[in-house]
Parts: sequence; C-alpha cells; structure tokens
Amino acid sequence: MTLPASTETATLARRFSPARLAAIVALLAAIALAVFAAAAALGAERISFGAALLDAGSLDARILFGLRMPRLVLGAIAGAALSAAGAAYQGLLRNPLADPFVLGVSGGAALGGTLALVAGSLLGGSALQGGALVTTAAFAGAVVATLLAFAAGTVGGRLDPTRTLLAGVVFNSFAAAMITILKVAVSPEKAQELLFWLTGSLGYESGSTLLLAGIAVLIAMAVLSRQAHALNLMVLGDDAAAALGVEVQRTRLVVFFAASLAVAVAVSLTGMVAFVGLIVPHLMRLAFGPDQRLLVPASALGGAAFLVAADLGARLLFVPLGTELPAGAITAIAGGPFFLLLMRRRSM
Amino acid sequence: MRRDAPSRGGRGDVPFGAAPRDASLLGAVARIALVAVACVVFSHDARAEAPFRLGPVPDAPPARVVTLAPSLTEIVLDLGAGRLLAGVSRYDDAAQVASLPRVGGYLDPAPEAILALRPDLLLVEPSPGNRAVVERLAALGVPVLVLPLKNVADTLVSIRAVAEALGRADDGAAAAARIERALSRLRSCAGGNAPRTLVVYGWQPLVAAGPGSFADELLTLVGAVNAAAGLAGPYPTLSVEAVLVSEPAFVLDASGGHGGSRPLEPLAGRVRRLRTSAFFRPGPRLVEAAEELCAILHPADGRKER
Repeated sequence: MTLPASTETATLARRFSPARLAAIVALLAAIALAVFAAAAALGAERISFGAALLDAGSLDARILFGLRMPRLVLGAIAGAALSAAGAAYQGLLRNPLADPFVLGVSGGAALGGTLALVAGSLLGGSALQGGALVTTAAFAGAVVATLLAFAAGTVGGRLDPTRTLLAGVVFNSFAAAMITILKVAVSPEKAQELLFWLTGSLGYESGSTLLLAGIAVLIAMAVLSRQAHALNLMVLGDDAAAALGVEVQRTRLVVFFAASLAVAVAVSLTGMVAFVGLIVPHLMRLAFGPDQRLLVPASALGGAAFLVAADLGARLLFVPLGTELPAGAITAIAGGPFFLLLMRRRSM
Repeated sequence: MRRDAPSRGGRGDVPFGAAPRDASLLGAVARIALVAVACVVFSHDARAEAPFRLGPVPDAPPARVVTLAPSLTEIVLDLGAGRLLAGVSRYDDAAQVASLPRVGGYLDPAPEAILALRPDLLLVEPSPGNRAVVERLAALGVPVLVLPLKNVADTLVSIRAVAEALGRADDGAAAAARIERALSRLRSCAGGNAPRTLVVYGWQPLVAAGPGSFADELLTLVGAVNAAAGLAGPYPTLSVEAVLVSEPAFVLDASGGHGGSRPLEPLAGRVRRLRTSAFFRPGPRLVEAAEELCAILHPADGRKER
C-alpha cells in the first residue's frame, strides 16, 4: 500500500507555497473558531455571553468559564495532537493505516491508566483515587509502548515501518488482554468506569494541566513541522532521500518521538478517542494534497475542530436523558461513514 | 452543633482523594510496581471511611439539595427532608422524587444541569467517574458532602452526616438508632443451620458478592454463610465449576435480569430472585434488604428472636 495521493493529485495547483499554506491555515482556523464558538455557546443549559462576561460570579460565567471552556481547550489540544501525530505517522511509516492507536501508543497509555485505576481501588481501598495518578501512569504507559515499538521495529540500526506497525498491533492486543484480566480484579462499577475512560471522553482538567499539555503539544508540532520537508523527501524511499541530503534515521527518530509525545499527552488526558488521528489527516490529504508541510498544521487545526465538534455532539445528544456520551463514541460513529462517503466520491 | 464535623475524619482537606496532584513519573512507576503485588494480595480491608466536605461550607442549613445516588436520596427522604430536594440522579425511582429534574448518574453526572439547579448542598457517593465533575463543581462554589457507602458502618455514619448537614442531627441519630435496632432484631434470623448462600450479581460472567461487599455483610448478619467468602475481593468473578462444587443451599439472583443470560441449569432449583432493589441501596432500605434475606433463607417462620 502506498499513500493514495502521492502522484496524480500532486498537480500544479497543489504545489506548496507559503501563500497557499497561509490560505489553508486561515480557512481551517476560521472553521475551528466557528466550532469553538458553537461549543462555548451550546450545552445542556442556555447561557448568555453578556451575563457571563459582565458578572464573574453569575451562573452563566461559571458554566462558560468553569465547565465549557476547560473542556473545549482540552478537546482542541487532544484533537490537534492526535491528528498531527497521525499525519506524521502516516508519512513516516509510508502506510495509510498508521495512526496513533495502531502503533500501540494508545494501548500502552490505556494499560498504564488501567493499572493506576486498579491500584486506586486495591491500595487505597477507596474508589476516589486521583485523576493525576491515572494521567501520569497513562503517560508512562504511552512512553513505554513507544520505546517498545521503536525497539522492535529497529533492525540493524534502521527503523523498519512494517515491523514497527506489527509490533504496535501486537502490543495493542497484549494491552487489551491485560486490561481484560485487570478488570476481573475490580468491582463491576469500576469496570464500567474503566470502559468509559477507555472509550475516550473529555473531562475537566485544571488550568495548569491544560497549559502544560498545550505547551507539550505545541513543541511536538513545531518539531513535526520542522521535519516536514524531510518527510516529504522520504516518500521517495530511504536511499533517494539520503541522496538528497536527508539524515533518514535521525529524522525517523525525531518524528517518531515528537508524534508519540503528542499522543501520550492526548491519551493520558482523554482516554482512547478513536479515529481522530486516522480520519482527519486523510481528510486533509484528500482536500489539500500530500505535502507534509501543509498536512501537519492542517491536520492539527482540523483535528481540534473535529474533536471539539464531536464533544459538543456528545454533550448535546443525550441532554433529555440527563447524561453525556463519551466523545470517542461520536468520533467513531460520525467519522466512519463520512470518511467512507468522501473516499468514494474522490475515488482514491 | 459543628457543621464541619464530617470533615474531621482527616480527609477533609485532601482534594477528593488521596492522590498527590504533583505525583512524579517515578512515583507513578513505583506505584504501578506496587499494583503488581496488590493484584495478587487483595486487600479485604472494609474499614469505614469518614464522610468529608468539598467546596464552601455554608453557615445556614441548605434549602436546595441535589443528590447523585438513589441511596442518598432515600437517606434525605427518610429524614423527612424530601421537600429540600431540587434534583436527583437518573437512577432514582422513589415516587416522591418522580417529578424532580435528573442530573445524570453515579458515573456520569451532568455538571451544567447540577450548577443550573443552584444547589446549596450536593450529596455525592464517591466514584472515579464523578470525581472530576464533583471537584470542578466544588471549585465553582457548590458545597459538597462526599459520603462513602461501602458497608453498614459507612451507611450509619453517612446518615448521621447528612442529617447534621441538613441541620437535623437529632433526626439522624434517631434514624441510625432505628436501623441498628431493626438489624439487631434480624440478627441470625436465618436459623441455626447457617445456610451456605451465594449472591449473584451477573450470570455471564458469573459475578458474586465476595468478602467485604455489602451483601456479604448482610449475609453474615442474618446468620448465613457466604459461599463466596473464601474468594478474593468484594466482587469476584467465579468459575461455574467452583460454584457447583461449593454446593450453596441458596443462590440469590441479584442480577435484575441483566446480562441477558439465565441462571445456571444445575443450580436452577436453588435460585431465588431478589425482588427489591434494596440490595443496591446502602441507606435506610438496608433493613428491607435484610428482611428479604430473612424471608428467603428462613421462610418457615421468620422468627424475630433467635
């Protein structure tokens, strides 16, 4: 399998230029802002922006700034991280199926978080062991999984894409089985809560956590953007890229870890939000062509808009029942058919 | 009266649980290593946890109470304070609260709906699923009382704590005393033969009440022997063979028809379906649960004295 749009669609009109990058970024930023505005304005309760801005103690202000904004920011960070990482993985491994979850990073994060949740119930004897521990453990799990996939995929000092992907798939199965076993050790309520977390949902993080996550993801994206040109050349094959002056192994290493950092941050805060990292980069590739210099920023903005929109849907759909759906369920339900439709129309 | 009394259990000033916010990566790794050990050596510790406060502590008794669990609603109703309720969980089924707004469940409370009800007291049974929402609501100025309801002792302490928060400490003491009297009347009602009993929460997989569970405590109280007493954890998953070998005299079906599977054929003659939801309501209705156990395990006379 090769990247679908690598040849025919790379027509003159799709050639990279700073002006084109600026136009695309402006377009996607406008879409993202519109989605953010809708997510801030809509929810289970009706609020007034005027009242919220005028009186910091009002119910409107507490709902807007205390509940909706933190969730919106988290959704934007996680969506951007997963999508930008997905775009990078697909380019790096030259495989359209590569996404943050296939590589085992998410499985590692889920296993780490699960271990922490089980620890909470077994060690503390209390059901309310903290979210900070779960987040930290999930991050550690993602890092370990990344190292494993990288170690398993490296043969004779070279990173082999197929081996790396296979190692990720195998590790995901292993993590899923471990989670199933660990579930036996916890109460049914705990298992249900675990399931909720694994499905992927946006909660309420503190301002400092969001700031830290935002900085980490921005750094990762800056690194990915810097390596975008090298990734473009690597589509030609390792030897051709090396002939053009690309340090192939170093580029692979840097891109792999930058993308994995972004994914680890996202998964540790939101659980397994499916599909964002697979679908959004493909959508962007269908719309704007395969140039990585466009794909990384476009995917980041598109991913932020997509996940915030999905979470808005998750918050609104079940208002009559007085509950919320995990955002991950919406991304999979809404994203799948839409993507298939688009793929057929573009006959890629 | 000390309105902040419930927080004196030592956890009051820990923000919703004992995990340090700045847990380092190394610390997390060390904890994960600890879990590997803990997974083997299950803790049976069923110590009572003290209720604790989050958010502001109001001066006056509350006028708008929102509950996030049916047990907590039932505690408020039992204290005669039903008119204070402004919202309840979506699992609440008491007739008195049928018309009240629903604010989500045990795992998925709806924060905007709760905030919009402007509660001056939010009663919460802690779960990892509601932790983030409840912490955030407390930070936004909602007074919260967190009430662990894991066993009978927890429940009695929580009833007193709710009553105290509502400004009705005497009613709470009376309610707790009434429950204690009722339970001591029902003590050993299963008779002298101590029937081996298994309480099943789900048939596939076969999940039963193990040591440290609420049902285990009630079984012991009425004088039955929990057939799953030797197993690990409060909600163990059993092998079907082990259940058959353990030869329980009674198998109490608390699955409520969930799980889509029928009771195991070889046990069919011993299965009794629990009719009430009282088994899942650690509150005033725990007496009801004990009474139902007595009626099933000793149907002949249901004697009050041993």
